[in-house]
Parts: sequence; C-alpha cells; structure tokens
Amino acid sequence: MSEGVPQNAGYLVAAYIVVPVILLAYAVSLYRRSRS
Amino acid sequence: MSLAQKGRRVVLAGLVLLGGVYVRALAFTPVERFQGPAQKIFYLHVPAAVTTELAVILVGLASVFFLFLKDPRLDRFAEASAEVGTVFAAIVLTTGPIWGKPIWGTWWTWDARLTSTLFLFFLLISYHVLRSAVTDAGLRARYAAVLGICAVVLVGFIHMSVYLFPTLHPQPIVLRPAKPGVPPEMLVTLLLSFGVFLVLYVGFVMQRYAIAQQREGAASDV
Repeated sequence: MSEGVPQNAGYLVAAYIVVPVILLAYAVSLYRRSRS
Repeated sequence: MSLAQKGRRVVLAGLVLLGGVYVRALAFTPVERFQGPAQKIFYLHVPAAVTTELAVILVGLASVFFLFLKDPRLDRFAEASAEVGTVFAAIVLTTGPIWGKPIWGTWWTWDARLTSTLFLFFLLISYHVLRSAVTDAGLRARYAAVLGICAVVLVGFIHMSVYLFPTLHPQPIVLRPAKPGVPPEMLVTLLLSFGVFLVLYVGFVMQRYAIAQQREGAASDV
C-alpha cells in the first residue's frame, strides 16, 4: 500500500463480518419459523 | 419443491455469490487513495441501501394495488418485502456508522440522510408492530397498506435529502445525471454486489411469503 493511504482496515473487517452475520441470522430465523 | 425450499436455495446461492463479491472487492478492486481500505464498505453499504429502497417501493406498490384489488397475495408480498427491507435497512444502519467513523470522524450525526434512514427503519418496525397488533385480517391488511404507502413517500424524501439538505452524507456518485463518478473496476464490483443483494432479496421474500401463506392456512383451519 502506498504511503499516505489511511490505515483503517479494521473498520473494513468489522463491516465485512457484520453483514453476513445479519444475513445468516435472518436466514436461520426464516428457516426456524418455516419449520414451526 | 415448495416455495420455502426454493427460497432457501436462492438465499444459499446469494450467500455463496456474496463470498465472490468479497473476493473481488478485497483482492481485485483498488484501494481508494483518500479513504483507504474502509472505502470498500461502499460495496456492501450502497447495494444494501438501494435494495432497502427497492423493497419499500415494492411494499408501496403492492399496498396501493391491494387497496384496489383486495388480493391477499399482494398483502402477503408487502409483508414479506417489508420484513426483508427491515433487515437490509439494519445492514445500512450498521455499515454506515462503521464507514463514517474513520472517514467523518464520528459514528453518527443527525444529517438529513442518516436521520431519515433511521426514521424509515423505525417506520418499518412500526409496520410489523401494527401487523402483529391487529387481529382482524382485513383491517390489518388495510392499515398496513396505508403505512406501506407512507414508507414509500419517506423513501422519496431519503433519496432527495442529500440535495435538499446537503450536509455530511455525500450525493450519489453512481446514480446521477452525469456519468458515474467511480472507476470502472469499482463500478463493476458495486454492480455485482447489487446483483447479489437482489438475489438475496428475492430468496428471502420467497421464504417469508411462504411463511405468511402457511400462517394464513393454519389460521383458516382454526
């Protein structure tokens, strides 16, 4: 990475983890509701 | 194969494709010079926001048609689309602050776009609360349809808010009258991600619609 580019990859990682967590949680919720 | 099973397969395909978007965004899309790696949140935040707006617009359209046609399938679809829209709105409202902190220096600000998006999220929550509070199916569908139409009006305001009250949130850089203001590599990643969010939306709505169908069947059996 070239000099001067902000070092903020932690925020990227956080966002890229949060999104599939929300999607998977909803997918599981739908699966459980369709079974009940 | 039932509608719920088909929906599950579509969602599974969407999640796998989302993995592909991650690979493309992280390994094959350049890092923006001024914002750094955090700019890549753009590839999740913007498609989630556009899909939320699309979901709510479809809720509104289904609601308008429901009020005229009284077709329960339209009410079921509106319910399903509203719930999926709420989930995507939650993604927008979590990825936004995570992106905003390194770029704006704050997790949250009461900017018109942010505030109206939060209001849309609350409105969608109230839509579900309303649906669960009214026991009469006909009344529930009618009240929900009115609220669904209100949500579409709010989407229009959200879209215009960056022009009417330009403060911190940037104006559109892709969907604007002039040509898109992002390099082609970034635009392709964004469009791929948008396609994946659409696939996820369709899969989730199919599943949620099937659940609504099941519940109505169970209620009519009682």
